[in-house]
Amino acid sequence: MDLRHQLELFPDCSVTLLLFNHVKNAAALRKKAMEGSIEGALINPAMIVDPFQILVAANKAVHLHKIGKMKTRTLYAEIIFSLSPNNNISDAFKKFGISDSDTAVLIVLIVDREKTVNLEDIASQVEGQQVSLDELPQLTDTVKVKKMYKVTPQEEKIGTLLDSIVCRMSTKDVL
Amino acid sequence: AQAGAAGPVVAEAEAEAEAPPPPGLQLVQQGAEARIYRGLFLGRAAVAKLRIPKRYRHPALEERLSRRRTAQEARSLLRCRRAAFHLFFFYTGISAPVVYFVDYVTNSIYLEDIVDSITVQDHINSVQQSGSDTSSLLILAEKMGELLARMHDEDLIHGDLTTSNILLRPPTEKLDLVLIDFGLSFISGLPEDKGVDLYVLEKAFLSTHPDTETVFKALLKAYAATSKKSGPVIKRLDEVRLRGRKRSMIG
Repeated sequence: MDLRHQLELFPDCSVTLLLFNHVKNAAALRKKAMEGSIEGALINPAMIVDPFQILVAANKAVHLHKIGKMKTRTLYAEIIFSLSPNNNISDAFKKFGISDSDTAVLIVLIVDREKTVNLEDIASQVEGQQVSLDELPQLTDTVKVKKMYKVTPQEEKIGTLLDSIVCRMSTKDVL
Repeated sequence: AQAGAAGPVVAEAEAEAEAPPPPGLQLVQQGAEARIYRGLFLGRAAVAKLRIPKRYRHPALEERLSRRRTAQEARSLLRCRRAAFHLFFFYTGISAPVVYFVDYVTNSIYLEDIVDSITVQDHINSVQQSGSDTSSLLILAEKMGELLARMHDEDLIHGDLTTSNILLRPPTEKLDLVLIDFGLSFISGLPEDKGVDLYVLEKAFLSTHPDTETVFKALLKAYAATSKKSGPVIKRLDEVRLRGRKRSMIG
């Protein structure tokens, strides 16, 4: 059900994605995330079009973490920040993090070889139903995503929405 | 004195000698500026370009140059994709690979691999070798001219135009072109810079592909027809041609 990917450039790190629908305790989860009492980055699935988008953000976050150049304070915060097309940290949390009224939550975990992470433990804190990542497209709000990433009609002609998003994410610090 | 003379050459050879490939990627090409690797990155077919540090340069300069080229490449790729051009009833961008990851520590860039693409260079070679009529290349030339006109209208100078820096997506017959290798690119509105950009392509084109003067002419014609600012550019191109080795600039 969950999706796992070992980062090619950081073979010690694996990215695990867990998707939950019909979530009832988003407010409590958000509080836990802010307190740091739940492991993982809690993301609003409406802003995600494909797991690849998360992998790109996670790869960048791990890279910056390893060289001590993160813009935020924790690896999980950095993943959320890396999803954003701009450099405003609080805006990133607002748009890509979960809000109290959300009914779906995507949890991203980075597991490195030394640590063991108990997925059941994390899943049990979510009052909702864990679903396969295949259901992600149903939860995506394409209109909101296009607006957030300022995707232009011409970009849509030469590539997928995911292409436009990833390009924006990976080049934002050079613009 | 002898050791001194051999110095920089030896040092460069040493510097280029051993860098381990990034995990999961295979070395595909070694150029003067960068090593190209291919493989999977985050589960997708990708190309990684790792810049080769030039040890004969002062380290501060090397770092700055390397970073600038990497940043320019990333910027230009995004700029291409977001350029807006009317094509019939819709807007289209300029096809260029998606950027997946830029590493400013090693100044390397991870890009989309256009799988099963071939370079325009290889395509022209195969058409010529198969004895086909070069008139089939005239349409390709038109497409190239249009593409470059759009790029220049965005004030984007490629800096290293050759037929190996333009790809054809599969299937080849669709003539769907993709520009690559923007490491030497920069932004400029000057006809001089655009003229030189075309001149570089012309020299590369005509020296790599014999008997293609008509083909390149078709490219320039399409360029002139597509670009709103082509007049001064073509004029500069004519002037630039008069420069160079063993050419008299006395008009």
